[in-house]
Amino acid sequence: MQSRSLMVLRLSTTAIEEIGATPHGRLSIFPIIGGSFDGERLRGRVLAGGGDWVTAMADGTIELDLRATLQTDDGALIHLTFTGVRDDANNYFRTLPRFETASPKYAFLNRLLAVGIGEIRPDGPIHSIEEIL
Amino acid sequence: MNTRLLMMLRVKVGTPQNLGAVPLGTRRTAPLSGGSFEGARLRGTVVAGGSADWQVLRSDGVLEMDLRVTLQTDDGALISMRSFGLRHGPPEVIAAIGRGESVDPAAYYFRTTPRFVTAHPAYAFLNRIVAVATGDRRPEGPIYTVHEVL
Repeated sequence: MQSRSLMVLRLSTTAIEEIGATPHGRLSIFPIIGGSFDGERLRGRVLAGGGDWVTAMADGTIELDLRATLQTDDGALIHLTFTGVRDDANNYFRTLPRFETASPKYAFLNRLLAVGIGEIRPDGPIHSIEEIL
Repeated sequence: MNTRLLMMLRVKVGTPQNLGAVPLGTRRTAPLSGGSFEGARLRGTVVAGGSADWQVLRSDGVLEMDLRVTLQTDDGALISMRSFGLRHGPPEVIAAIGRGESVDPAAYYFRTTPRFVTAHPAYAFLNRIVAVATGDRRPEGPIYTVHEVL
């Protein structure tokens, strides 16, 4: 598969909201309080207010469900969502980001699919997001 | 991004159900009447019953696809695949696809992002991966080349 770097996304989260054991697994919510993103075609900051709904599954994998709002350095707002899987036993952390924006300049984001390679750092998660060509 | 070929998935599309203009766009549901998949680690057939592609043609001309397929392997396991996808391209190319013509898949963007769930231990690795696929819309139905994201 051909892909091209889209951005590196850094997220800052605050105290986890532990919902606990639900019928689907153990649900934790990581509220997003900020962050940044940087790529050749777009860069800016992550607005506070999104979150990652994280469910620990019975097979040891972790299912991610993230929503965040990105604000580019020239003022456009971009709605980002992704689902993904984290499997620490296999050092696997991959996501499938999708974007929505009303900005004509960034409308190309509405027309692409992407893959994120995640990594947990001491100061929060980092996602290297690549456009699927 | 590193990937590895997972399978080729061929689906047969039955009679589409044209729901028309809904708030999101123009909605069409394409039930699958069958199909097959083949890869080094899994092969089998598409179960017709619950398999379909729920499509919305957006106001910006992009077709959003929500494909849900039940796969049955040759050794009897059931695998549920869900795949969100996008398809768009030059108007003349999309029109040719609409007329049922065979079109070079490089002439348009047709990509999907499959995820899988299964209860069968032999295929449990599918629960732990995400995948990406390139689509090729043939007159009888799409062919997806599905790659595991490594």
